[in-house]
Amino acid sequence: MSPVDGPGIFNPNLPVDRAVTEGRVPPRAEEQIPELHEVGCPEELRERIETLMSRYPDRKSASIPALWAVQERYGWCTPEGIRQAAAVMRVTPAYLESVASFYDLLHTDPVGTHRIEVCTNISCWMRGGDELLDAFKTAAEGQDAEFFVTGFECLGACDIAPMASIDQRYYGPLEAAEAQTAIDQLKAGEEVLPAKDLLKRPLAADLPGGSNG
Amino acid sequence: MSPEQRSVTITVDGREIEAVEGEMLHDAARKGDVEIPVFCYEPKLGDPVGACRMCLVEIEGIPKLQTSCSTPVRDGMVVHTRTEQVKHAQSAVVEFLLVNHPLDCPVCDKGGECPLQDITQGWGPGQSRVIDEKRHFQKPIELSPLVAIDRERCILCYRCVRFSQEVSEDAQLQLLERGDRTFVGTFDDRPYVGPFHGNITDICPVGALTSYTYRFRARPWDIEQAGSVCTLCPSQCNVSFTVRDEKVKRVLARDNHDVDDGWLCDKGRYGFEMFSAEERVTEPRFKGGTKVEWEKAIARAAEGLRKAGAGKVAALVGDASNEEAFLVQKLLREALGSAHVDSRRAGGPGRDTIVALSQPNLTAKVREIDDADAILVLGTDPLHSSPILDLRVRKAIRRNGARLVVATERPTALDGGAEAIARYAPGDAAVFVDELVKALRGEENVATPLAETLKEAEKVVVLWGERIGDFAQSGLLNLAGALKIAETGGAGLLEVPDFSNARGLREAGCLPDAGPGLSEVAVPGKGTEEIRAGLESGEIEGLVLVGVDPLRDFPDTAAWDNALNAAKFVVAFSTFATATAAKADVLFPLETHAEKDGTVTHADGRLQRVRPSAGRPGDIRPGYLVLSELAEALGLETGIWSRPSAFEALTAAVPFYGSISDSDIGGKGIRWQETAGAERVPASAGASGEGSPDALRAGVSGDPSPKSPNGTGATSLLLGTYRDLWAGPITELNPPLKFLAPQQRLEISEADAEGLGLVAGDKVRIGQNGSSVEASVVVKERVPAGICFLAEGIAEGNANSLLNGGPVRVGITKLSEVPA
Amino acid sequence: MADPRETRILLDKAEDPALATLEGYKRLVGGYATLEQAYRSMEQDEVLKELEDSGLRGRGGAGFSMGKKASFLPRGEMAKYLCCNADESEPGAFKDRELMQRNPHQLIEGIAIAALAADAGHAFIFIRGEYDAQADVLDRAVAEAYEAGYLGKDILGSHRDLELVVHRGAGAYICGEETALLDALEGKRGNPRLKPPFPAVQGLYGGPTLINNVETLSNVPRIVANGADWFKGFGTEQSPGTKVVSISGGVRRPGNFEVELGMPLRELIYGLAGGPEPGHEVKAFYPGGSSSPVLTPAELDLPYSFEAMAEAGSMLGSGSIIVADDRVSIPHMALRTARFYHHESCGKCTPCREGTNWTVKMLERVVRGEATPMDLDIISSVQQNIMGHCLCVLGDSMAMPVSAMVNKFRPEFEEVIANAGLDPHAVVDAPPELLGAST
Ligand SMILES: Cc1cc2nc3c(=O)[nH]c(=O)nc-3n(C[C@H](O)[C@H](O)[C@H](O)COP(=O)(O)O)c2cc1C
Ligand code: SF4
Ligand code: FES
Repeated sequence: MSPVDGPGIFNPNLPVDRAVTEGRVPPRAEEQIPELHEVGCPEELRERIETLMSRYPDRKSASIPALWAVQERYGWCTPEGIRQAAAVMRVTPAYLESVASFYDLLHTDPVGTHRIEVCTNISCWMRGGDELLDAFKTAAEGQDAEFFVTGFECLGACDIAPMASIDQRYYGPLEAAEAQTAIDQLKAGEEVLPAKDLLKRPLAADLPGGSNG
Repeated sequence: MSPEQRSVTITVDGREIEAVEGEMLHDAARKGDVEIPVFCYEPKLGDPVGACRMCLVEIEGIPKLQTSCSTPVRDGMVVHTRTEQVKHAQSAVVEFLLVNHPLDCPVCDKGGECPLQDITQGWGPGQSRVIDEKRHFQKPIELSPLVAIDRERCILCYRCVRFSQEVSEDAQLQLLERGDRTFVGTFDDRPYVGPFHGNITDICPVGALTSYTYRFRARPWDIEQAGSVCTLCPSQCNVSFTVRDEKVKRVLARDNHDVDDGWLCDKGRYGFEMFSAEERVTEPRFKGGTKVEWEKAIARAAEGLRKAGAGKVAALVGDASNEEAFLVQKLLREALGSAHVDSRRAGGPGRDTIVALSQPNLTAKVREIDDADAILVLGTDPLHSSPILDLRVRKAIRRNGARLVVATERPTALDGGAEAIARYAPGDAAVFVDELVKALRGEENVATPLAETLKEAEKVVVLWGERIGDFAQSGLLNLAGALKIAETGGAGLLEVPDFSNARGLREAGCLPDAGPGLSEVAVPGKGTEEIRAGLESGEIEGLVLVGVDPLRDFPDTAAWDNALNAAKFVVAFSTFATATAAKADVLFPLETHAEKDGTVTHADGRLQRVRPSAGRPGDIRPGYLVLSELAEALGLETGIWSRPSAFEALTAAVPFYGSISDSDIGGKGIRWQETAGAERVPASAGASGEGSPDALRAGVSGDPSPKSPNGTGATSLLLGTYRDLWAGPITELNPPLKFLAPQQRLEISEADAEGLGLVAGDKVRIGQNGSSVEASVVVKERVPAGICFLAEGIAEGNANSLLNGGPVRVGITKLSEVPA
Repeated sequence: MADPRETRILLDKAEDPALATLEGYKRLVGGYATLEQAYRSMEQDEVLKELEDSGLRGRGGAGFSMGKKASFLPRGEMAKYLCCNADESEPGAFKDRELMQRNPHQLIEGIAIAALAADAGHAFIFIRGEYDAQADVLDRAVAEAYEAGYLGKDILGSHRDLELVVHRGAGAYICGEETALLDALEGKRGNPRLKPPFPAVQGLYGGPTLINNVETLSNVPRIVANGADWFKGFGTEQSPGTKVVSISGGVRRPGNFEVELGMPLRELIYGLAGGPEPGHEVKAFYPGGSSSPVLTPAELDLPYSFEAMAEAGSMLGSGSIIVADDRVSIPHMALRTARFYHHESCGKCTPCREGTNWTVKMLERVVRGEATPMDLDIISSVQQNIMGHCLCVLGDSMAMPVSAMVNKFRPEFEEVIANAGLDPHAVVDAPPELLGAST
């Protein structure tokens, strides 16, 4: 379940023709972009980022995917990880940190292994999103290294309100009590709330019960 | 206005204004004296971003208000800047900006010179409706050892970030987080240290970014601004000194598009505390440091030089104005009958080459870099040698699509922007230039990739370093021919010399084989290296040093030490009490660019005026007066007793300066090539022939085995040296800059590091012919194998001590015990 | 099994999971036949004309004619790009998620045909990072399409190339704004750019770029297959076609429904979505996502079309209806709305960055009872100060609904202020059976 490539999916590489506007490596003073030999970048991460860069006409386009790769490897965008990605991409670490800090899903501070985002936006709020968030917080209390629970803006699943995204998969509609269940399942390494998995849900009008006029 | 730009008429608030098609409405309006308030707009930072929304105006025919900073004018445009709708928008934006601003003006350094204050007063709502809590940050905190950041005051115009992105291109200063949580910061909260970062304090429109060197030092009503020129490097940037009680408190850029584009490097900006450093020589001294009265000192100097005898005195000139340089050579030639005068740290080309290179149609002006189609950087790293040109080259590439090629010994800061890069071995510049000329004529060789780019360009600007040496400099003439530089407008050669005023010194006559105005001399004197040899052999007995420090700055320190010891009588003019100054029998103080009154000549031929801005510390006297008195004591009446008379004598002696008056120079300077006198430059004898590579290649010398106790297993590499931007007394004597003083580092390639069993951080000894220096190892991707680099001019482990006039091989040994 | 009131075209056979595979897409709905036809025998202008004539309006929010936008791209040798906007992050919107998850090949085929119209050689699907599962579906589908020769070099021997990359965002609503999307795709912070230049002229990497929403592009294959007139047979004159409408909030059957544009709102909210819980009434609703000014039950009989919503002072936007029933506190809903925009403001321009922040602080005081009616005037005035003054329309997207709520429900705001200490969550105490049929 990588946020960068699909599981085992081979995405054909794009040719690297230099883009008109952004193709060149920015001229730099010394030391601003770390050299690869200085950062101890794991081979696998380097190859991954290089593959990502090759998909775009301009290598810089790979910055978000590269940060995803860093986050996947280290759990969050660690300063070391950012430096490694920066050395491979030939941009400054500051640039990547700036990008990472802009986006809600990239973490520039440590987070738990499992990331749980609970929607508290309008539709979910109307249907108990705040209580669901509280329930998850309670269930995960004191286990910060394992669980990162946060309220989140609309996740684009108001049809299953109130809902949560657990390790990048959507579940809903959830009852507050299901928070504890989900946490227990995560700890036990079991499938999480199988009956509430969005991917298994039919279209609204196709739900059992049919049309209700 | 270039011919392709069309003039248009627009109407702003009922006034007709002539504007250039495509220029931004804000700028056009200003021509008609209509002021539109702005925060984020600063054309020097690149394209407008339209972020602050302060400059909204009404344009007839467009329903929504438009940002005048980003709207190009069109003919017939009708604009209103003071309608109710516009006023409402402007006051709304000011109100929004103040929602989170702490309004701590009474304790803010910007108070009184703050655009936010001014615009709030002029366009703001006049009252506050905000009662909610403002955002809080820890404040002020250290953005760098030189700049404090107060994030609460920041209005997120992101000028500073754009500077880092689009001007200095270091991409170190960034916006972090998003929305109203956004703040300006660096990676992992590390300090922002870039050689230009002080500029962000100039462009910040609020008190968010302030220099530690100026915090709480003065209020705007206590200070005066005085314009001068910075002579700390060949860029000769225009500066404005903030002076309080006769002392410089701050240095600001004084925008001169022809010179500096409104930027300063941090050396120029923060290097002002040395004006009152303890190490300054503030009165005449005798050897041993005894302070003496002026009259005595001059008498003793005159006597000593006279004793040395006619033809047996030499002079070396470095940090000096044109007038001072003129007087030194006059003193030598006319009062002491000696022609041994030079203004170069090592050898240099002969008069023929210098005259040929001085032809007006070969010299590029600084602003021609902006519009060049291609730029060749040859044998110099502008970042270190003339930093402001580094910014200029970046601008040309970024904004105008110039194509860059680089040919140097050492990797440069500009490499990343280059289409092709050539690295030649230390000392091989001439060979490379020769190859490049051949490649331009169609031969396939190592220089072909660079030639390909250059051939496609019409206007080529060549930035070349004085250090490429004399053979390469004559090779430049062939290169200029191959690139059709003389025939192409906007093309040219631009030297990056070692000394700030190198061109002025040469043109004032400080060359062994050329007098003032590059005139021919009957009997040429000795150049720098022959002078040294002459001192050692006793052929020369007296020495006058003006603003030079051979023991730090010239190659082969040991030989210079011998020479200075051998000299019978040394008169030195020095700003600081240096090791060289300590050898002087009579030591005179030298003024800095905050005190001096005189002219300097930029490498592009621009004469600019250095003006006294602050009081002279101690008992310092103007250099031209001292030299004139010395001449008189030697029996030569110069007639120079004032600054104007010094300038007159100079322009009378240098024919091509002849039609320049004080007022021509004014605040921005004037290029002599653009005056009537230009035709009086000596005619060139024409380009020299091509050399064979072997003749051009300087023989490598040196015994690489270091005579050190633990010198086993030494491997030899060719040594290249460079002058780091931060090497020298300016860094060491300015408390705020001290942290930048470079430590010696041995830069080697990954291959050699592996071969030598070295890793980054290892301590090593680098030896050559009995001398050695210590350094820590730095492994660099772009350093070619077989070559290593060391810094010159630094306090500890100066690489000049390993040099001896040509390329050398050095031995490297790892120090078994790493000093703690 | 579709509800009879639905007109499933984009979601035709979407109940069958096999539709997400290339084989299923071909078998169930005759997929890729149009791409084959277009690449084998159609010229750029033919495709363009069909799109323009169809009157297809953008489904991403602005409702601009898709064909017209494609025709703005300059012709010539320069590299051109196509970006599919799959950032779908506006509260209330979840239709693109459904379309990508259930019918990814329809989107890929639409992109390939639109690329022909735009003469683009590179296409990107910018999908919000949260839609990880859907991005996996797309990755798989894209790989299948490459395999089958519908993407890549020399497609079907046409001498045309198209590279398609699925680019995942990382959580920022603003990246849905088309120029911010371009910056994000270029690897930067997703800040909107100044317009002009418009992306059609100078977009991704400085090249001409066509940007369209997922649903817009998903419509392309069928329009090209069946012709503009067929398409215009659905919907209203000014809003032709079908629309996947996301309905959520206080209704009994929240979800996506594909209907002809012009269907009365009452039919959508009460008919398809089942209306509020028994015993409750609609109090207000956002007709086009959280940035549309709220409407009241008085407007329930309007037809759901671009033009009717605009006339009512609101907008159809992305076609997402959020229903607030009579238990919802409007001031709290205003606060939720404002918080969202405050959180998502990119921070580049002043009125949006500071205006959203200030509005949230004031609304917080309102619901805590620490405000006076004068604060309501200031809130309204601040919304006025934001509108029309920002770099992009995110600021307006908060100002419009918030000022509509303050204006239309002012007594309720005053009441909330007066009754200080209301439960800050103030949520509907939803009974479990309401939480969806799958429980
Ligand atoms: C703040 C903001 C967010 C937006 N988010 C989206 C989005 O998530 N998806 C989308 O398709 N369009 C979004 N848009 C609209 C796009 O800017 C653009 O108009 C649209 O992608 C064009 O596609 P269309 O013509 O097919 O609708 C957003 C606009 C704004 C101002
Ligand atoms: S620190 Fe100053 S220059 Fe930088 S964004 Fe803030 S207000 Fe602008
Ligand atoms: S000056 Fe025009 S938007 Fe800032």
